[in-house]
Amino acid sequence: MVADCFPSQAPKAPSPTGQRDWSAGRTAARWLGMPLFLALTGGALYRYVAGQQLDTIEQRTLNASELTARVGEHLQLAAVSTAIVIAVAVPLGIIATRRSARFMTPAILALGNLGQAIPSFGLITLVVLTIGVGFKAIIIGLFACSMLPILRNTMVGLQQVDQTMVRAARGMGMSPLDALLRVELPLAVPVILAGVRTALIINVGTATLATFFGVKALGYVIYQGIQLDRTPVLITGAVLASGLALLVDYVAGVAERLLTPRGL
Amino acid sequence: MSTTTAPQTSRTGETPPSEPMIRLEKLTKQYPGQPAPAVDRVSMDIPRGEIIVLVGPSGCGKTTTMEMINRLTEPTSGRIFLDGADVTRDNPDALRRRIGYVIQQIGLFPHLKVSENIAVVPKLLGWNRRRINDRVDELLDLVGMDAAAYRDRYPKELSGGQRQRIGVARAMAADPPVMLMDEPFGAIDPITRERLQNEFLRVQQQVQKTVVFVTHDVDEAIKMGDRIAVLGQHSRIARYDTPANILSDPADSYVENFIGSGASLKRLNLTRVRDVVLETGCPTAYLTESLPQIRRRLLESDWTALLLLDQGRPRRWVTARDLTGSDADLATVGLPAVALVEPQATLADALNEMLTSNAGVAVVVDGRGVYRGMIDLDTIMIEARSMRRGTTEFYRAAKRSLTGGEA
Repeated sequence: MVADCFPSQAPKAPSPTGQRDWSAGRTAARWLGMPLFLALTGGALYRYVAGQQLDTIEQRTLNASELTARVGEHLQLAAVSTAIVIAVAVPLGIIATRRSARFMTPAILALGNLGQAIPSFGLITLVVLTIGVGFKAIIIGLFACSMLPILRNTMVGLQQVDQTMVRAARGMGMSPLDALLRVELPLAVPVILAGVRTALIINVGTATLATFFGVKALGYVIYQGIQLDRTPVLITGAVLASGLALLVDYVAGVAERLLTPRGL
Repeated sequence: MSTTTAPQTSRTGETPPSEPMIRLEKLTKQYPGQPAPAVDRVSMDIPRGEIIVLVGPSGCGKTTTMEMINRLTEPTSGRIFLDGADVTRDNPDALRRRIGYVIQQIGLFPHLKVSENIAVVPKLLGWNRRRINDRVDELLDLVGMDAAAYRDRYPKELSGGQRQRIGVARAMAADPPVMLMDEPFGAIDPITRERLQNEFLRVQQQVQKTVVFVTHDVDEAIKMGDRIAVLGQHSRIARYDTPANILSDPADSYVENFIGSGASLKRLNLTRVRDVVLETGCPTAYLTESLPQIRRRLLESDWTALLLLDQGRPRRWVTARDLTGSDADLATVGLPAVALVEPQATLADALNEMLTSNAGVAVVVDGRGVYRGMIDLDTIMIEARSMRRGTTEFYRAAKRSLTGGEA
């Protein structure tokens, strides 16, 4: 025991490649399952619509260029609103967790809660009543609805960072900003990304309401189906809206996985 | 049996340097809303190149005291001098880059590879990539880890002991003259802890840093410290001296209580095997020698057993009976040679080896495993007695009267 004080220890952790080989089948199933499901659903929808005798009213909605435009509008609304929320909520969350700005934390959280508590339809209506219909009003509405998840997750993500890490960072001579950028934020990334994913889902879902406020998006297709009593149109709108939500969630999940620092 | 007593200050450097590396002057920390200060007017000089252990009960303010040195905790009043310069008002971030820091729970960054963890301070100091890479490899080598195998690992892929080594390497990355270590071996199993302690002492012998080491474990303090500061409430220094002096003369009931019972046993931690004269009279033989030759050598000696060596390394103990008969196979005869200790092991280690392996002697081998001599229970007993200042005289006198009586 005394005589061999300093042996270099044998590697303990299994090699990463070995680990990957072992679970390769399961991983593939996990990552390929959703795209496969969406492809099958899309194919079924196409066959259903193609098999119908469409009248002129239906044809006006159910054609490639029209549907592509609606999906495009929908994605644009979700993407722009989420980007703005990230740009605002992450810095706000960082500020709210700084020691010097703790006094603002309740106010910031209350603001986020407000957006979450008010029903989205009512909230967008309120915005529209204030600044009129259009893209801008809807974006503001979506922004307010999806603020809380990112704000809260940024705060929680930063608060759950082991304080000994921060202390070690500061003790080694990192400035508060260094410690935030090099230690705290990387360690909070998984939680923040989960918030981003939630916000994205909320925005994709809520964007169906845009049709009432001047941007058609996929809500328009559904609404047409209801208003004109055309089942194929209604089904197409509903399936596209749900499928898009699932697809966005899937892509966000992949991104979350890729952006999480290794080693966590 | 002849023995030498290790000089009491053998581990504290040859000449006392004139200027302390760290000087604390009436350092006080008063937290708002607390009736008493956490640290109350602590003054101490910390000499260059020594390991100073701050030891005391939980909550006595030892960590706070240490953290005021790199101003992770800002002192309420008092002054800190580093290498002669007053750093009480310096930029704390720049100051901390000059002071290595090992936090209690190691605090490796989980999202950074081993190499990136070690490179944190060099990067803050703006070293170029090549210099950083070279330094990382050098440090991994220093703490006994294979650079090629470990530099790209993440902390979660390391064992507790390995993480601890990386923690120490990280603190030494920019070669700071001073290192602060807050219970660095706290959360580790006893066997690994002992190994890491020995390893750190070996590294320290090479690098000669000024180390401030915080622990609540008296045994660790005695083992690691060139000097120990026993702290009481509010970080009041109850005693600041070498481990040998504190153990032989606590001078104070608080210190005595804190050291606890078994002080004599603890004293065995102070003397290393290399400091005592080894017994070298034991007959030895090489595996390549002939059986009758070996038997004759054993019978000519006044020992009952002979140590078989294989290329200088102890292999087996054999007695005269093992060597009778012409067909005895030297590779399997007798008993395996156990209780091997290296010169830097303490007498406590040696005693422990003897007791666990049920052997009357411990075999001393050098770093390459080559036989150097023996150490037996008598040697340890005499060392233990002679370390007690008062009793040394008593035993010498007793010995004199004994031999005088016989004459």
